[in-house]
Amino acid sequence: MPPAPITSVTRQLSRRSVFEALLHHSPISRADLAKVTSLSKQTMSEVIDAFEQQGLVRPVGRTRGNVGRTAVLYELSPEGGHALGIDLGARRVTVALTDIAGRVLAEADEPTDSRGGAWAIDQIARLSDRLARDNHTHPSRIRSIVMATPGVVNPKSGAIEMAPNITGLDHLNVVGLLSEKLGSPVVLENDINLALLGELWHGCAQNLDNVAFLALGSGVGLGLYVNGRLVRGENGAAGEIGYLPIGGDPLQAESRLQGCLEYQVGATGVVRRYREGGGSDVDSEREVFERAQAGDPIAAHVVEETARLTALAAAAVIATVDPQLLVLGGSVGARPDFADQVARVLLRLAPRPVEIRTSTLGRRAGVVGALSVALRRLHDEFFGVAELAATLPLPPPAHRSARQ
Amino acid sequence: MTRETDLCFAADLGGTKLAAAMADGQGRIVAELTEPTDPRGAAYVAEQIAACAHKLAHTAGIDVVRARHVMVGIPGAIDPRTGRVSLTPHIAGLEDFDVLGFLRQRFGPDVAIENDVNLAMLGEHALGCAKRCRNAAFLSLGTGAGLGLLMDDKLFRGTHGSAGEIADLPMGRDAHSQIPSTSGTFELEVGSHAIVDRYRRQGGTAAATVRDIFRQLERGDDVAASVLDTTARWVALAVVTLQSLLDLELIVFGGSIGVRPELYERVRQILPSLFSRPIPIAPSQLGDRAGLLGAAWAAGQALRQNLELA
Repeated sequence: MPPAPITSVTRQLSRRSVFEALLHHSPISRADLAKVTSLSKQTMSEVIDAFEQQGLVRPVGRTRGNVGRTAVLYELSPEGGHALGIDLGARRVTVALTDIAGRVLAEADEPTDSRGGAWAIDQIARLSDRLARDNHTHPSRIRSIVMATPGVVNPKSGAIEMAPNITGLDHLNVVGLLSEKLGSPVVLENDINLALLGELWHGCAQNLDNVAFLALGSGVGLGLYVNGRLVRGENGAAGEIGYLPIGGDPLQAESRLQGCLEYQVGATGVVRRYREGGGSDVDSEREVFERAQAGDPIAAHVVEETARLTALAAAAVIATVDPQLLVLGGSVGARPDFADQVARVLLRLAPRPVEIRTSTLGRRAGVVGALSVALRRLHDEFFGVAELAATLPLPPPAHRSARQ
Repeated sequence: MTRETDLCFAADLGGTKLAAAMADGQGRIVAELTEPTDPRGAAYVAEQIAACAHKLAHTAGIDVVRARHVMVGIPGAIDPRTGRVSLTPHIAGLEDFDVLGFLRQRFGPDVAIENDVNLAMLGEHALGCAKRCRNAAFLSLGTGAGLGLLMDDKLFRGTHGSAGEIADLPMGRDAHSQIPSTSGTFELEVGSHAIVDRYRRQGGTAAATVRDIFRQLERGDDVAASVLDTTARWVALAVVTLQSLLDLELIVFGGSIGVRPELYERVRQILPSLFSRPIPIAPSQLGDRAGLLGAAWAAGQALRQNLELA
């Protein structure tokens, strides 16, 4: 493809910088927009007129000047376009809707349909439709959709593999089916990576650029954000810390199959160790944690060992990537009692002190991360300049105050 | 100020030896030497580095003031914000010595220090077996254990300059005991002292260095073979750890012990039993010169940039 003429790139850049200024400074007058962007008043007028025609901006009042003329203030119009974030978890499905300015308009969640597969996909479509309808948003206005999912997406078949906690996704074209039902292409991304991006946008890791997110729930995983970028690895398998040779014999069959660390600290591992230790029957790892808190010594021992192994994994992360911040997340990892235990072991174990925080978004981390990526993609669709690699910075979470 | 004919001075400081070179703007070596590291500690070592520059300038037939761009590899972590050097157990007093200040005083402002294994990674990326990689690691095994990380085509140093300080990996005797309290546990298993210790404990014949143990291995010494098997197993576990965390394109084996085929081949054979996916590893192509060549290349790059700006 021949390169676009210079004038076109210049115009794209002007539009992009005006949009960025609106994203971060709304409501704002044309004169102030011109100041912030260093564009001429004439260029500014052209861009704003075009934006108004496209329905991207709307006037929201006037400056309250002292004397003389007052100026019209503009903000991004909620009609400009919407982005949808989805988090498909083993236990819950969450969907959230944002407008182009990053205002989270609505959020809904339900227990995941235990039949999995096509039922789960139908459930997501139903939840999304309801969310859009309740917010008087025509589905056609939702132009960018990102879904957080466990496991690994097979780029050829569109199926989700290695997600043993939701049945029936490994032989379904999840990407294709969901895109068809929602009427817009759906992008899938690893749930832990998205939880990390969620914490970076709205949570406990704002404005940092070297962050490790260690998630412990039904499984164990790691998200790494290094020099301002997600680390995905050569085969998309970076952060698969279930396979760390910690907590058992890495030569054992279970270790190779399930991962040495995951075999011990994953939900089934916690339940198994509790039974092996002489504990009575439990339904879930959550129950083991609750019993530990209630004073059950067998459960307390299992939890302590889980914290010790988690701390060993964290120490390996710290030695290797030297993060600014370690975030503990996931249904188990974010439990304050558990996080305290991990932090205590790390004090003795970590090669150097590192700041540890528990996820502040908790269960919402994945869907907020999905929203952040969906929003970026929406912005890039409108204002991406092919010649410019960098994406637009997202607006700060203050915009959430607009949420009803 | 920079002229076409200017050279750069590169040095790679190790616990036992110091390698130094004069190179041109393309990182090509003009003169090179290696000396045992002055055992008296940091201040002496710093003087030794400066003396090397003089010797090499003499060999290259230039005035030493023409070596304006200097890059010195240091066996420790360098905090990118403060320039402070830490984690250097193998050179006495280095943590309290202002290496950068000393070198700037002697050579002028265009001086940089960098972790030695990072420079080895850079060397392999520019000239060696990691040329086409964007995400790779250089695993150095010698007196100590260290790792240089290349992420998205750039060196990754971490927040405090201590990314890749895998001497601290929590594996080994202490980390697996009930009360894991000692840091640096991985190095306690695979550092050269650990290997010699293990050989002695298992009843090996007199061996003062790891090199002696390799020599014994050639003579068919079973204890030497068993000690290397154990060492290789620990190294393989570290490789599995790295690959689980980072999913790299290539892990380059270097350092005086890491490049030995007797060790490297053992690790390569163990890996498939520990990890379900193949892990791409390769021995260093530049061998014990990886750090020095990386330093020369980095210094040459700084020189080239200055020429462009002039």
